[in-house]
Amino acid sequence: MTKEKLYKGLADAVVDMDESTVARLSEEAVCNRFDAYETIDMGLAKGMERAGQLFEDEEYFVPELLMCSEALTVGVDILKPHIRRSEREDKHKIVIGVIRGDTHDIGKNLVKLMLSSAGFEVVDLGRDVPTNTFVDRAVEESARIIMISSLMTTTMEGMKEVVSILQERGIRSRFKVVIGGGPVSQGFADKIGADAYSPNANHAVRLANELVREDAREPK
Amino acid sequence: MNSISPRERLLRSLGGKTVDRPPVICPGGMMNAAVVDVMTSGIYKLPEAHHDPDLMSGLAGNVQRETGFENFGIPFCMTVEAESLGSEVDYGSLECEPKIGREPFPSVKEVEFRPRGVIGRTARAEAVIEAITSLSREYEDIPAIGSVTGPLSTAASIVDPMPFLKDLRREKDAAHRVLDYVCGELEDYARLMVEGGASVISIADPTATGEILGPKIFREFALPYLNRLADAVHAAGVPVIIHICGNVRSIKSELALLRGDALSVDAMVNLKALKGETPGITTMGNLSTYLLEFGNEGSVGKSVRALMNQDIDIMAPACGLSTSTPIENIRAFTSAVRETG
Repeated sequence: MTKEKLYKGLADAVVDMDESTVARLSEEAVCNRFDAYETIDMGLAKGMERAGQLFEDEEYFVPELLMCSEALTVGVDILKPHIRRSEREDKHKIVIGVIRGDTHDIGKNLVKLMLSSAGFEVVDLGRDVPTNTFVDRAVEESARIIMISSLMTTTMEGMKEVVSILQERGIRSRFKVVIGGGPVSQGFADKIGADAYSPNANHAVRLANELVREDAREPK
Repeated sequence: MNSISPRERLLRSLGGKTVDRPPVICPGGMMNAAVVDVMTSGIYKLPEAHHDPDLMSGLAGNVQRETGFENFGIPFCMTVEAESLGSEVDYGSLECEPKIGREPFPSVKEVEFRPRGVIGRTARAEAVIEAITSLSREYEDIPAIGSVTGPLSTAASIVDPMPFLKDLRREKDAAHRVLDYVCGELEDYARLMVEGGASVISIADPTATGEILGPKIFREFALPYLNRLADAVHAAGVPVIIHICGNVRSIKSELALLRGDALSVDAMVNLKALKGETPGITTMGNLSTYLLEFGNEGSVGKSVRALMNQDIDIMAPACGLSTSTPIENIRAFTSAVRETG
């Protein structure tokens, strides 16, 4: 099988939630000594990208997206040990969590898995996270982006508090703050001074890519 | 204007009969109005009132009087069911509602089935039923609404939600067995509420949304169990409200198959359009809870009047209220309904 055909097969298998085909093709890539990093990037991750688009188009929903991610993980586990050290580039770090008072973490988990499969290093703070913890951990981890999720109108104020804490500590410009979740809107993001609002998990990946590119362009 | 009681008005609305104006209610559970303002001005407070029947009925009474909602809504959380089936619950505080601390089962295949009738036998469920009983005895004219967490949401509160959602695709049989078990328990619990005197049962199933499940899985795993629960409540002799969270765009044809007596939806749903598309439906909703928290009396009144022009049958908040919602805004909501109607 040619490289291109195998990559396409892997991407299709991720979209089809077909774990056994992902496993078979990943093994084949290893046997054929295809570059493992490229196989993940051009095969598995491409499939996840397509799954994310299907999710955004409302053809796939949460259970489907989770199963695609499960298939992707099967492939990554096979290929990862074969990645050459020199190719392990520095990944951009993102801290993510559900704000204090809120334990709805389905959305956050989706964003996390889409970001990880797009190559970001995601530090997951979990759910019901105190506002200070977002800031403390972002500093500790030298993250570039802080993503905060809330599914309840009750807890949205906490997002504003995170932005205020960053301002008070004089480190606002070191981080991009992205917010998301059911009751949240672009208007609310503007109001509290967040850098961006993401309406869904797939959009969050595009945003993260844009924000790190912007970040790279800004003079230090 | 006051010729019919709030109870009769609500029951007539749910039965599709004519009324002088829509009732304005807040059914309890996820959508309860035990806001901080009500508690600080009275003697009944959370989290204590989650456990004690007298405190619970006392608080429900204060909520009703202070807010102007035309019902008692009990309980004030959606953790009673999952706790009875094995989940750890964090009871929260005055400001913060209870939540599931940890789901005990990592997948649907590992759920331990407890003997039938377990929800009704736990102390917290007994407190809920006692509170409903005493309120419905004391106030014949004000409907007591018993709030039950929907089957899918209860199941996703005892099984870790991420594996649970995957199991809806990969372990269908085991997922159905868990939902069958959970649904049976919820039916028993709802029946006890009705026997205690609940005038209406309200089912909120926030995990069973079109946005999370999509139409296919909603049809296979949400719809049949919601209908089974609704049928059991009907057999017990009272009507049912079903609340579906989030955007319903993808599940409109499924909503038409729900056998509840009223459909309550989130703020982004246009109820007038939904009514046009689903003839015969009784609509409930859907005043933005964000507006209730951050708006003022004027903006709330204006929104209420706009909503009432959509011919909504039962006026209610669109979602769970923030506990820091100002009481003035809630009063502006309920009095605008009374004045406009």
